[in-house]
Amino acid sequence: MQENQKHLREAAEKLLSDKKVDVIIGYERGTLPLRTRPVFIREPDETKKLVWNSRCENNLSFYLKTAKGKVGIVAKGCDARSIVGLIKERQVKREDIFIIGVPCPGIIDRKKIEDTLEGRDLQEGVESDSQVILKGEGFEEKADKDKLLHSSCTTCTHRNPVLYDTLIGKEIPEPKMDEYSDVEEFSSKKDNERWTYFNDETSRCIRCYACRNACPSCYCPQCFVDQSLPTWFGRTPHPSDTLIFHMIRTLHTAGRCVDCGTCSRVCPMNVELQILNKKAEKDVKELYGYEVGTNLEELPPMATFKIDDPQEFIK
Amino acid sequence: MKGKVIGKEQLAGWLDNLREEYDVWAPVKGNGLVSFHPINSASEIYFGFLNTRKTPKDLFFPQSEVLFSFRRGEMEKDRDTLLEKPRIIFAIRPCDAQNLALLDKVFDSEDYQDPYYVERRKGTLLFGMACTHPQTTCFCTSMRAGPFEKTCLDLLIVDLGNDRYFVEAVTEQGKDAIGKNNLLEDAGEKDTERLAKTKKEAEEKIKSKIVIEGLEEKLDKIFDSSLWDRVHQRCLGCAICTYLCSTCHCFALLDEKVDSGGQRIRSWDSCMFPGFTLEASGHNPRISNKERMRQRVMHKFNYFVKNFGQTACVGCGRCIRNCPVNIDIREIIQEIDNE
Amino acid sequence: MKEGQTVDTEKAGWEPRIIAFLCNWCSYAGADLAGISRLQYPPNVRVIRVPCSGRVNPYFIIKSLQHGVDGVLVSGCHPGDCHYINGNLVARRRFAIFKSILEFMGVEKGRVQFSWISAAEGERFSQVIKEVTEEIKALGPGKRFVKEI
Repeated sequence: MQENQKHLREAAEKLLSDKKVDVIIGYERGTLPLRTRPVFIREPDETKKLVWNSRCENNLSFYLKTAKGKVGIVAKGCDARSIVGLIKERQVKREDIFIIGVPCPGIIDRKKIEDTLEGRDLQEGVESDSQVILKGEGFEEKADKDKLLHSSCTTCTHRNPVLYDTLIGKEIPEPKMDEYSDVEEFSSKKDNERWTYFNDETSRCIRCYACRNACPSCYCPQCFVDQSLPTWFGRTPHPSDTLIFHMIRTLHTAGRCVDCGTCSRVCPMNVELQILNKKAEKDVKELYGYEVGTNLEELPPMATFKIDDPQEFIK
Repeated sequence: MKGKVIGKEQLAGWLDNLREEYDVWAPVKGNGLVSFHPINSASEIYFGFLNTRKTPKDLFFPQSEVLFSFRRGEMEKDRDTLLEKPRIIFAIRPCDAQNLALLDKVFDSEDYQDPYYVERRKGTLLFGMACTHPQTTCFCTSMRAGPFEKTCLDLLIVDLGNDRYFVEAVTEQGKDAIGKNNLLEDAGEKDTERLAKTKKEAEEKIKSKIVIEGLEEKLDKIFDSSLWDRVHQRCLGCAICTYLCSTCHCFALLDEKVDSGGQRIRSWDSCMFPGFTLEASGHNPRISNKERMRQRVMHKFNYFVKNFGQTACVGCGRCIRNCPVNIDIREIIQEIDNE
Repeated sequence: MKEGQTVDTEKAGWEPRIIAFLCNWCSYAGADLAGISRLQYPPNVRVIRVPCSGRVNPYFIIKSLQHGVDGVLVSGCHPGDCHYINGNLVARRRFAIFKSILEFMGVEKGRVQFSWISAAEGERFSQVIKEVTEEIKALGPGKRFVKEI
């Protein structure tokens, strides 16, 4: 990773000094221990700010929607898939972006670090190849990175960017696994159990819309929950309205969500609804043979149809 | 100052006594989050918390509440009492308690009293738990307060780091709450010494500093500065910073209605949302995240000072800890200072 | 309205309220034919005529459930028969995912249903309404998503 960080800085510096891009969107060191954050770099000598590590959690493709000029963007596997989606949906032009692809072995989940700390305050953190050292008042602990990975990363089968202009480092092997075993397990539960699960999760929601705002696929100028003519659904954290908000968000991102996990990562209230997004992803794959964000040619599945689409559910 | 002490194992007994007269709310852990809930036994309390994720401001100013409701052909019903029993909020952090002094200025001023807020506020005793383990993101000492601040508290409880809590009554009501049982004993000299030491240590642990002196005047001059172009860049435009903020108190009034009736609801709103300033004409004076973020900073450190003579920030650090893109208010204040 | 009610309410004469979104060109005409042909079907459905099954936004369905209806039926033209060439085919994909997500979240199978009924299928229309009504009756009152105001 250290090696890749060096390559990344070099590549970024070259792009800026050759005036191939106007700005580079990447990650820099944050102000909190073990945190990184998005950074916008416009001068070649600022590229030493760029970092690449297992805490680069934000999906930067979000910023493409508002970026101006030719943009260089650091993209992990999932981010690259989001970018493919945005290009297909004509939110960004391929020629306006320069994708700096980075193979990603998985990103650490801040919430898992919090759980490990059990309420203690993290004052310093150091990441090595396989471990993270957590330091604070009166403690110093080691934790395995594998165990801290975000749940989206543990089932990720696209660690290497599908689309890039330059790749930093070498491609890493893609794991073979049953990505949807958790969805199947969840489906086997009773109606009531599943209903209770979703109600419990959304009961904590405070309607801050961080999930929506951070999502690369959520770019509507006005979201359906913000519409007032007509007001479709309530804006308070009423259980029914909150559940409906999350459900419709899943519907709107079906066939577009790449399971980057951003919505779950940004949630301040630990609302965990990824299983719902994954279910939609699985359906789209099984019903229409569509894998989100893997090529630029195929039309998004909800924007097209085939005459012989499955219709067992219709009387 | 004459204080009391109580053994840690006696605390449950004390709270149980109090529960006969009061609903006791205390920090409880669930789903990886600590939040205030009414408790049925002291064993439910989670003492290992640094601070709750959400502020307890929603116990006084809930995220949404029905102001009135109506049915077809029926007049509005009388409002129910908001609190069935007087409440005690146990182990509220001093920063969150101090925040109520700011909210009082808005919701319980001479000119205007919000009946919902006032009723909840009057019916609640605040038992503060001093912050002996401030976080790296805490900067209350810069906001004219500190980890042992007593503003708005009825009682201040301090973990002495041994087997005892130091309990100090701040108000008459607090004194009454102590007086009602014999589990507390007078503090000895050693306890007061320990208290002073704990306080000093806690204050020293707070390393984050921001300078608010002169900030208001500075902000007056930089409304059009290019600084805002820089600081807002990574902002996602979500409401985490405002909804988890202690002091943010903006709300919207919403009407929800069906064929047979409806209700008027007061619900939190956030200046970080585009709809917050959207006008009926379709014009939006705060068109992008830049204007919205500037508003957030200006309101806290300039407008609120102008209106109420105090900065609308208590230094709890929640906005820093929870921002998904790590926007740090300390840094922004520093940048403003450097302008 | 719904809380505390169980399937027992059938005994107290509970009858489900069902909203049927029927496309103007096929299913609505099918319903018309059923009427002209004097075919009997349960009076539990309230018909809302829409231009095309593709016009039915999932919001309509959720909003109905939120207001406490016990079941929703969406019906359109058979594939290939759409007045707008392919509105029903786009709708088919949308509803496949929608129904799957609804059921995954724990909404009872059968609460929300879809059918293709042509203008010539009056008999079939009455049959579908009978089936849907029976199935929703068996499920009892709708409680998921219900919001009381």
